Amino acid sequence: MSREITFKYWNEISEGDAVTTITMDVPFERVILDAAATQDYFPGHHNPAYARHQGQKEIYLNTMAIEGFIDRVATDWAGPHTFIRKRQMQMRSSIYAGDMLQGEGKVEKCYENDGQYLVDVTINISTESGLCVPAELTLELPAAKTS
Amino acid sequence: MSETFNEPFPLAYGTYEDAVKLLNKPGEKVVSEFSVNWEMIKIYCSMVEDGNPSYWDEEYANKQWGGIVAPSGLLLTWPMSLQWHPQKERKHYFIAMTIPLPGDTIINVATNTEFHRHLYLGDRVSVVDELIDVSEEKKTRLGVGHFLTTKAQFFNQRDQLIAVQTNSLFRYYVPEEES
Repeated sequence: MSREITFKYWNEISEGDAVTTITMDVPFERVILDAAATQDYFPGHHNPAYARHQGQKEIYLNTMAIEGFIDRVATDWAGPHTFIRKRQMQMRSSIYAGDMLQGEGKVEKCYENDGQYLVDVTINISTESGLCVPAELTLELPAAKTS
Repeated sequence: MSETFNEPFPLAYGTYEDAVKLLNKPGEKVVSEFSVNWEMIKIYCSMVEDGNPSYWDEEYANKQWGGIVAPSGLLLTWPMSLQWHPQKERKHYFIAMTIPLPGDTIINVATNTEFHRHLYLGDRVSVVDELIDVSEEKKTRLGVGHFLTTKAQFFNQRDQLIAVQTNSLFRYYVPEEES
C-alpha cells in the first residue's frame, strides 16, 4: 500500500499551520523490532521483568524509535525534501508495548537564516495516557517550487 | 509474585564524587562496526513505517540528495557495539554508562541534536562523547539518583561533522520499599 507524498515549500507555510496528525500502534512486536533495528538491547526494551524493576509498567520504546516517529510526523507533512536541522525532545513518560501513538504539531516560526529557509515546528507525541514526548524541530525546506 | 531477570545491566559503580572527577574529559573516539547500509535503514524505516523516498527510492534520493541517506534517528545505532565479537570485548560507547554512580539502572530523559549533513550509504561513523554535567542526588517518581548530561560529536570517515547531540539521562535505583 503506497502513500501519497506531499511536498511543501517554505513560501507556502505560515505560523500557526497544523502539522498533519499521524497515529501508529505499538504492539510488542514493534518494541522488539525497535531493539533489533536500532541495535539497542538495553533490557528495558525487551525484558518485561527488567522494565518493571525500573519502575516501568511494561517494555517501552527507546529514544531512537521516538525520534524516528517524530521525524516521520515532520517529513510526512513537509515532504521528503526536508532536512531536519535540529530536534529537541523530552521523554516525560515512556511509550509502552500496547500503547497507541499519536503525533501532532504546529508551525511556530518561519524565517531565513544564512541562506537557509527554516521552519520551527512543535510536535507532541501522546498516548492514551496523555502527552509523553514534546519536541521542537527546525526544518530546512526549499524556498519555493521551481518549474 | 517476584520476578527475575537474567543479570543486571552492566554499569560502572561509584560515588557522586567519583563521577564529578570525570566531567569534561572526552572519551576515546569510537569508530562504528557497521558502515551505513541500506538494509539497516530499511529495517528502521519499517519499524516506524516511514515511507520517505529519501530512504527507499534511489532515483528520488539521487536527484534530491545525491544518494540514499540515513534517517536522522539512526544516528546512535551506527556506533553501537555488537552483542558478541570474536576479538573485541563488548563495551558501551555511551560514556554515560561508564560513569561510576550508585544507581543500578538508567532512563533517558532528554535529547537535543543539531544535524550538519546527511550520512550516505557506505559512510563510517565515529563518535566522541564527554560528560558535561552530573547533578547531585535527586528523587523523582521513578527513583533516587543523578541526572547525567553528555555531549557527543558524530563524524563521517572524512572527519566531517555530522551531528552534535546533548543527552540527559537519569541514573537511579528504586528504593526498597517501592520496588
